[in-house]
Amino acid sequence: MPRAIRGVLIECEPAIKSILIHIDSTQLNNDAIIEDLDETHLMVKEQMVKTLQARLDEKLKETYRVEVPLDDSDEDKGM
Amino acid sequence: MSSFGPSSFLLDDYLEKLPGATFRKLYQQPSTAFAIFRRMLPPLAKVYVQALLYSPTPLTTNDIELWTQPEGKGTSNRAIARLRSLHIAQLSQSTRAKKAQDIQLTANFKKSLRLALEGGGSHNSFGVPSTLPTDPKIHIQYLDHWAGRIWQDILYYVVNSVPMKANESGGRHGSGGGGPKRAVRELLKMGGLVREGAGGLVQISEHGFNFLLQEANAQVWTLLLLWLEAADRNKALAKEQGTDITGTAIDNVEMLSFLFMLASLELGRAYDTSALTETRKNMLPALADFGLIYIDRDRPQQYYPTRLATTLTSLSTMRSVSASIDAATKKTPGDAGSLGADSTPTAPADENGGIVVETNYRIYAYTSSPLQIAILKLFCRLHMRFPNMVTARLTRESVQEAIKEGITANQIIDYLVAHAHPQMRRAAAAKGTTVIPPTVMDQIRLWQLESQRMQKTPGFQFKDFESVEEYRQLAEYATEIGVLVWKDDRKGTFFVSKVEQIREFLKARKKGN
Repeated sequence: MPRAIRGVLIECEPAIKSILIHIDSTQLNNDAIIEDLDETHLMVKEQMVKTLQARLDEKLKETYRVEVPLDDSDEDKGM
Repeated sequence: MSSFGPSSFLLDDYLEKLPGATFRKLYQQPSTAFAIFRRMLPPLAKVYVQALLYSPTPLTTNDIELWTQPEGKGTSNRAIARLRSLHIAQLSQSTRAKKAQDIQLTANFKKSLRLALEGGGSHNSFGVPSTLPTDPKIHIQYLDHWAGRIWQDILYYVVNSVPMKANESGGRHGSGGGGPKRAVRELLKMGGLVREGAGGLVQISEHGFNFLLQEANAQVWTLLLLWLEAADRNKALAKEQGTDITGTAIDNVEMLSFLFMLASLELGRAYDTSALTETRKNMLPALADFGLIYIDRDRPQQYYPTRLATTLTSLSTMRSVSASIDAATKKTPGDAGSLGADSTPTAPADENGGIVVETNYRIYAYTSSPLQIAILKLFCRLHMRFPNMVTARLTRESVQEAIKEGITANQIIDYLVAHAHPQMRRAAAAKGTTVIPPTVMDQIRLWQLESQRMQKTPGFQFKDFESVEEYRQLAEYATEIGVLVWKDDRKGTFFVSKVEQIREFLKARKKGN
């Protein structure tokens, strides 16, 4: 009989995947990721998904900035 | 299975968890069998049921395979898998042909569906119309208006957009405060649609956001399923404590079949409560709290199903459900809570949406409904408010804020499309484009991608197969029934979103060897 393992399949870009693996090994004690499946897929413990997501968001905030969109105000227009 | 809206999934999930014995009991009621047949089956499965219904002998899977083209094999297998998971059909080793299985309908389902179609029997499964005189003021419009108001009260509560003032609908049934009844509020809290924040204030949760953006029909089901689960839990709890459970505990089979029965009743007609079982009678007050049925205070022996109830099992009329609810509540004046007692629901048909979306992400919503404004506030930045209109803007922040709360880009788009202004529809139809400008739709999706770096699918990974052959068969089967999410042929492992049928397949396969 084959084995069935409960978990959450995570699909992401390779870059994000390597960040996730890094987070798992440095911050989470290798406790979140069950298996590294392929370039874009990871198998993660169900109860750890939220933590992992939160840590990833933190990490991305450090590295990733978006330009502030132009804020055209409604007030100026033909009022 | 493209004909299913995402809305039916909740009910699907609930039904799939039920054991076979429960299904057998459920299918004793012709109305239930009929409702399941109408709502829960993909078209091809319906064809199979119809073919099997009057067939004196079981058909073999080989016969059925002949009806579909080879490339439709997956669809066909999915249809059969569905019939099995709902315990409508059963497979057994065929006696006539080798390597084939007999397929036949389960006894109860067959009998009940036949009864439902032929109209025979004395099961009273489709309700007993009341013979007593009815109040002429209770007509379809009145019921629509009433149900719409109750339902909107519940939605207001979830959005928490308005302070809980005493209003008409609360007072009507004798409860003091406004908003939905206490039991309904408890239910929403328990289901995680709202949570109590600091200082006892109620806050909407991510499930609540999802709930709000669903079709009215799906919302009703969500609430009903929460209710069923609550009843289950109470029963289990009462059993543990050994306390007296009469009155509070309701058999979930009885509850479900009553709901399916309600769905088969005729709108605007009074039905007799004395023909109901005790359990069902106990359910009536709760159903009235949800706005599914109306009970006239002066004639408690009659109940009227509302549109919320009679459309429970419809698939195609979902749009018209929300349209009719919108129409029924359209007259809501700007300030919530002061719903006029005599505001008659004379709604012109085209008034069910008033949102204009421009290519520059501006939104003009011709509405004064606090509910709609509150929903818009979930994913737009509101700008100005006029007596009959608000202006807003979709921004990166506002959309991502919403996405963080668990709303998906598609839900936002669906909501905007569903509530688009008739002008938008006309313009889109004339130009042959989408209702919402394509740039806006794309941008909303891009914003989602930006903040959603990982796609999450809960489920099961299968690995360590005994042979390549075993892996191949199982992976193939998983693909056919549509649960396969990812696989790696080289490593011999795959991931599925649902596991029940795979388990069964494995068991059957083991026996076959």
